Amino acid sequence: MKLKRIFAFVKIQLKSVIKVPTALFIILILPVALILIFGFAFGSIYVEDYGWTGQDGYLFEFMVPGFIAISGLFMAIPVALSFSEDREQGMLKRINTTPTTAAEFMVSHIISNMIMALIQVAIIFILTFLMGAMRNITPVGILLSFVIMVIFTLSTIGFGLITATVSKSAKAAGGIVWIFLLPQQLLAANLYPLPPETQIVSMFMPLNYASDSLSLIFFGVDLGNLRIWWDLLILVAFSFVLIIAGILLFKKYGRA
Amino acid sequence: MNTMSESKAKSTYMKFGTDNPNAIEVRDLVKIYRGRKVIEEVKAVDGISFSVNKGEIFGLLGPNGAGKTTTINILVGLLDQTEGEAFVGGYNVKKNLAKIKELIGVCPQQASVYQYLNARENIELFGKLHLVEKEVINERMERFLDLLGLSKAANRAAKKYSGGMLRQLNLIVALISDPPILFLDEPTVGMDARVRRATWDFINSLKQTNKTVILTTHYIEEAEALCDRVAIIDFGKLVALGTPKELIEKHNAKDLEEVFLNITGRRIMEGF
Repeated sequence: MKLKRIFAFVKIQLKSVIKVPTALFIILILPVALILIFGFAFGSIYVEDYGWTGQDGYLFEFMVPGFIAISGLFMAIPVALSFSEDREQGMLKRINTTPTTAAEFMVSHIISNMIMALIQVAIIFILTFLMGAMRNITPVGILLSFVIMVIFTLSTIGFGLITATVSKSAKAAGGIVWIFLLPQQLLAANLYPLPPETQIVSMFMPLNYASDSLSLIFFGVDLGNLRIWWDLLILVAFSFVLIIAGILLFKKYGRA
Repeated sequence: MNTMSESKAKSTYMKFGTDNPNAIEVRDLVKIYRGRKVIEEVKAVDGISFSVNKGEIFGLLGPNGAGKTTTINILVGLLDQTEGEAFVGGYNVKKNLAKIKELIGVCPQQASVYQYLNARENIELFGKLHLVEKEVINERMERFLDLLGLSKAANRAAKKYSGGMLRQLNLIVALISDPPILFLDEPTVGMDARVRRATWDFINSLKQTNKTVILTTHYIEEAEALCDRVAIIDFGKLVALGTPKELIEKHNAKDLEEVFLNITGRRIMEGF
């Protein structure tokens, strides 16, 4: 594997965030907009004994971990679109005629998306901090949140690749990706209390483990709490399976 | 015993040294596209054999759907052949594809560049994929951009380019690694007459650098202007092979179009 090739791809993939309006909107503008809108709407509403947390606090504070996790989930959209567009425009074939290996190409996508996820989380953290909604989190908790989001990003790249595999065009990919996103967003983001019955469904959604562990960290739960690490372990397993499945499916059925 | 092993070795590795004049060799190549049902089989390439000498511009001429692009795609490793053997730079396309990819530059039929990047960024990316040093990339890039008249537009996003400009950028991207063997698949489709002429001059200038160029086209005048030898393909079969002059003389025709008409009974651009 040649680092020069990987970094060449990482560079142009990061440039796409600035130069492609859809990517810029989904990766940076949408999360910022969500935080600002919900922050101003619910930042002054104080609730007691909120949902499963059993804690008191401002409603927006309970929502922030969910927004961070959802923002990471949205990364599946640019991944699905970029792979579909590359295929439509003959870029995948062209790259395949260069000495670049499939591993170099995939690793570059994983690295660039992880960098984007880190930038995204950093921006959300800064905004949330400025809005006074990060009262209970510790510096180690912040670091652990970044680790969780990097791991979660792997699963979203997997969703993106699976979407690109089954979609015949970039336009179709833009619609199909919501099959993976919407149920998770509605049932596993922990933005608001849901009936316990939904937990059975959300157990099969990686977003559930990302948002749950982030919520625990944001509420100031001791970082030795086993639930955080259990969430993280399941998230690692989900991400590993999804990214491998995504890469294998795309390699076999998605490139042509 | 010894002869058998020598023969086997020869079939998997043709020496690409000075003693072997062939840059490309194709033997009894067959490509069948199979659908889900047996009746959906399409024989796109049907037993083609030819060789391309080092340093020559070799044209694959034929109407749309003749099998030109399929042949090229097999040679550059994008498709597996059904039968037969193909060697590029002395390497077997089925066994030594990684080596072949270091030797070739490919200009695909579809202008494939990143639309959101400008010309310089696209060219630089492909140079880096071939592990070319940045200084070398820059020197070649400026030379090629200048030769094709793209310098002024080089910092503009490719999505803002005209069809002809995109085709020219497509060509530069294929050349940035200075490959000894170059595959140009319909490089001038969609170009206006002036840009096409400039591109022909550019391709012609590659002869001085001793590059082997394999060019597909369905423009007769393009093949006549550029190619040292041409192979005419129709319905996946090789129907004629030689220099344009030889073929015209042999078939007592006024041009290659008439040669094609004499051999196949139809015109190259029919149905286009």
